[in-house]
Amino acid sequence: MGAVELLQFALAGLKNGAIYALVALGFTLVYAATGAINFAQGEFYMLGGMLSVWAYAGLGLPLPLAGLVGVAMTALVGGVFELLAVRPRKDGDLLAIIIITVGGSMVLSSAARHLFGPLEKALPAFTSTGTVSIFGAVLEIQSLWILGLTTLAVVALWYLYNRTSLGRAMRACAVNRDAARLVGIDPRRIVTVSFMLAAALGALAGLAVTPLTQTAFDVGPSVGIKGFAAAILGGLGNPIAAVAGGIVLGMLESMSIAFISSTYKDAIALVVLLGVLFWRPQGIFGASRREKV
Amino acid sequence: MVKRPDIRLIAIVAIALVAVFALPMLTSERYLLRVFTFVGVNVIIITGMALLFGYAGQVSLGHAAFYGIGAYASAFAVLTLGWPWVAGVALALVLTAVGGLLLALPSLRLKGHYLAMATLGFGEIMKVVFVEARPVTGGPDGLSGIPYPTLGPLEFDTAGTAYWLVWGVAAVALLLAYNVVRSRAGRAMRALHGSELGATACGIDITGVKVRVFVISAALAGLAGALYAHVVGFVSPSTFSLHVSVLLVAMAVLGGTGSLAGPVIATVILTLIPYSDAVIPGLSRTALETIQEWQEDIYGLTIIAVMLFVPGGIGSLIRRIFPERGDAG
Amino acid sequence: MSRSIGARLARVFVSTCIVALTVPVFLVGCDGETGYGDGETVRIGAVLSLSGSLAGLGEPARRAIEVEVDRINADGGVNGRMVEVLYEDDASDEARSVAAASRLIDQEGVVAIIGGSGTGQSMAMRQEIEPGAVPQVALAGGSIVTDQFSPWVFQTPWPNRVVVPFTLENLQAAGIERLAIIAESGGYGKDGSDVTKDFVDEFGIEIVAEEQFNRGDTDMTPQLTKVRAEAPDAVLMWAAGAEAATILKNNAAIGGAAPLRFFGAPGNARLEFVEGAGDAAEGFMFAAGHILVPETYGVDTEAYEVATSFIDRYTERWGAGPDIFAGHAYDAIHIIVEAARRSPADFTPGDLRDEIEATSGLVSVGGTFTFSPTDHNGMTADDLTMYVIENGAWAPVEEVR
Repeated sequence: MGAVELLQFALAGLKNGAIYALVALGFTLVYAATGAINFAQGEFYMLGGMLSVWAYAGLGLPLPLAGLVGVAMTALVGGVFELLAVRPRKDGDLLAIIIITVGGSMVLSSAARHLFGPLEKALPAFTSTGTVSIFGAVLEIQSLWILGLTTLAVVALWYLYNRTSLGRAMRACAVNRDAARLVGIDPRRIVTVSFMLAAALGALAGLAVTPLTQTAFDVGPSVGIKGFAAAILGGLGNPIAAVAGGIVLGMLESMSIAFISSTYKDAIALVVLLGVLFWRPQGIFGASRREKV
Repeated sequence: MVKRPDIRLIAIVAIALVAVFALPMLTSERYLLRVFTFVGVNVIIITGMALLFGYAGQVSLGHAAFYGIGAYASAFAVLTLGWPWVAGVALALVLTAVGGLLLALPSLRLKGHYLAMATLGFGEIMKVVFVEARPVTGGPDGLSGIPYPTLGPLEFDTAGTAYWLVWGVAAVALLLAYNVVRSRAGRAMRALHGSELGATACGIDITGVKVRVFVISAALAGLAGALYAHVVGFVSPSTFSLHVSVLLVAMAVLGGTGSLAGPVIATVILTLIPYSDAVIPGLSRTALETIQEWQEDIYGLTIIAVMLFVPGGIGSLIRRIFPERGDAG
Repeated sequence: MSRSIGARLARVFVSTCIVALTVPVFLVGCDGETGYGDGETVRIGAVLSLSGSLAGLGEPARRAIEVEVDRINADGGVNGRMVEVLYEDDASDEARSVAAASRLIDQEGVVAIIGGSGTGQSMAMRQEIEPGAVPQVALAGGSIVTDQFSPWVFQTPWPNRVVVPFTLENLQAAGIERLAIIAESGGYGKDGSDVTKDFVDEFGIEIVAEEQFNRGDTDMTPQLTKVRAEAPDAVLMWAAGAEAATILKNNAAIGGAAPLRFFGAPGNARLEFVEGAGDAAEGFMFAAGHILVPETYGVDTEAYEVATSFIDRYTERWGAGPDIFAGHAYDAIHIIVEAARRSPADFTPGDLRDEIEATSGLVSVGGTFTFSPTDHNGMTADDLTMYVIENGAWAPVEEVR
């Protein structure tokens, strides 16, 4: 295998990894706020694409505005979902919240089918369908957008966590809800905000990918699994670890195809994931911390 | 404290048993019997899930895989190897028990979401195996023409007899689970759900209990698979997806912890939702098609509603109705 | 600490009570009349995937059947009896399709069943179809549906044993000797690549690479990079879903000035695919029925009349033209209705099955159907056309180069 081909595999892994990373970031945010895994995260990815297509093709908005509308509406859906279905469960029981998000994901994908029909929808590339050449290997301009948006999301999250009072409140809640409440932070508000941010991140991924893959009401679960795997692989609760987990997972799949077989790429990636878990039960970058289910 | 047997409850149990097993004599509707047979199959799986989650506090997102292993093992044994059905069931039980053991040993180091991910990963890997191990599983086309279950000269070849078989097995599974719950190990399991540290302090072999429960639940899923394959006559990989694993966990959680009856009721309800047209009498075609169109929404909303309005799960509701009951059963 | 055994047992079996106590109530409502309709309407069941992963196949099928049943009844139905179609959604779930079939047969007394939409669903129903002695006309294209022969099961889509030789013949004409395959991991891809491998030798074609992907994958560049390393003359793609467009776009991106040449199959005859792939689909070739461009039937043929009038009716009712899945459903309802018209006045499902098997030269949109006791599909290569995508639309290929 030549160096150019190897680079091509790496670029593909990076691009898929960036998508997984964005979805994984959403898992991380909700996990930090509630301790639970949000099974509706994949549906936010789906809604980001579907609502953007609706705003673009249905409302006739220009693409940047349509994308903004899609992401904002998905964030709204995430917030409303939290208010209506998660917040009323006052004891914050982890498994109860997880199962509520399972129910939520069924309702969201079904609602998308009712509203937009069962067929896939297309969206044009953000700027150009062209490509750039990197030492002979090729990357779509749209993939640059995906990588750029992922980087932007990470930087924005870092800024939010470290430089804003909301972010500090979110971190405080993740460490200890009761203590946070004592210093005047309302944990319920933090959970709502976390769901909205998670939904926006998922939607951003869905929006950025749709020009390459199209979207449909049922694309959520498969990407959701990948994002969950990425978040776990990196180690839950740490945004940088989630991004690293996403990139590692994308690379694993791509290299499995390169060196072993495309038939078993998912199985190989999962075997490696299981191996990592058995070796480091808290994920690659996860700190050892108290855990309960 | 010693309590007298509750006559009312014994009566309900007796009526329930008689009525469940009398159903095929009351109706010849194959559709109704089919639907309730599927309910019975799910009840068998959920019995193991209830032990695993409700008593041992472990969550598995991979039990659809054991369900599938059981189905394929038995179907392959009977269809390709020409074994009798009972031998196929035995193979299904052995394979799923061993598989459960092999997965449980390394996985039980993991906690919470990491354990969930490990079992999810196992399920997804098995899905690839079901698709790719074509000489055994038939690949995506699946295995068709699987013979009906037989026990010596008995052939369960009608909807009514298949129903009896499945519910008979389900009753045995529930009794077994009930005995496990009552045993010393069962009490250990309940202790475990509360506090692992506390359980250890009491001298309970936590790992041993967890492994045993995991193996039992895997084997029960395998048993359910061996029944499903022969009752439907067809298996394919799509029946054993992550979606099914997730719904099984949902049924267990909706059922509530520390209860067998709760998860069983949750299973009956959730399994019947997609077939609600079958059990609500006098429904018009239009109403029926509307229900089918919205079934995913109904399903999802039911899950959310139970979690919001019955916080302790259906098991806690039963405890409220029969307050004299302790924390067992 | 001891508890009452009776009470404990009660907890275990409370669920069973609920089932038990409610069942007798249900029975009153459920034990309806069975039999073959009321002698006035001809009842036909349709088990379709209207939700779940195959919803994109079930929905157009239902629309086609609705349009056609209205027209058939306006024309006097079946010898004066109206046709009634009862729809069941199997939610792309095999257990559901089994239950739906048993209900349609037992409770509704249908004379025939159309469906399912997917190969798995169609196969699963067989357990109900055969003992129920009701003919089934499947809308799923998997070879196994008619390869694993059942006297009761018919199939309307073009099976791969017809599509593949036709496609390979065209590949051969185009001078292709080194072929790569890229296929989805599900039944559609597996069936397609299996049958392709069975036939390549006959056409002097060698398979130099074989790659696979999963439904829902977002990027197929690694597979294509591997395929490119083998320098094939062309790639045959077995992908019916949205991934087909992604593959072509990935191919255009990494191919630059020299993208690989791609061929496809009837599953690619979808407007969503052409729209989704955009420029990347230019020059893409695939075999499908004549319905895509009715002129390929020959403008003075009966088939042309049949197809264009169907397209008009469908477009008028639903605002968009029919796709091939709508066409398969059109074929199914007409095969059944035509057979019913030939049957005696008080026909049973068994009589209907015999008449369906006797179908000969029935001009429909998928092709001209002629069944026999050994062939329950009846399609031939004459029912296929090679199409190429040009300027964002499909057009028949005069001669493949």
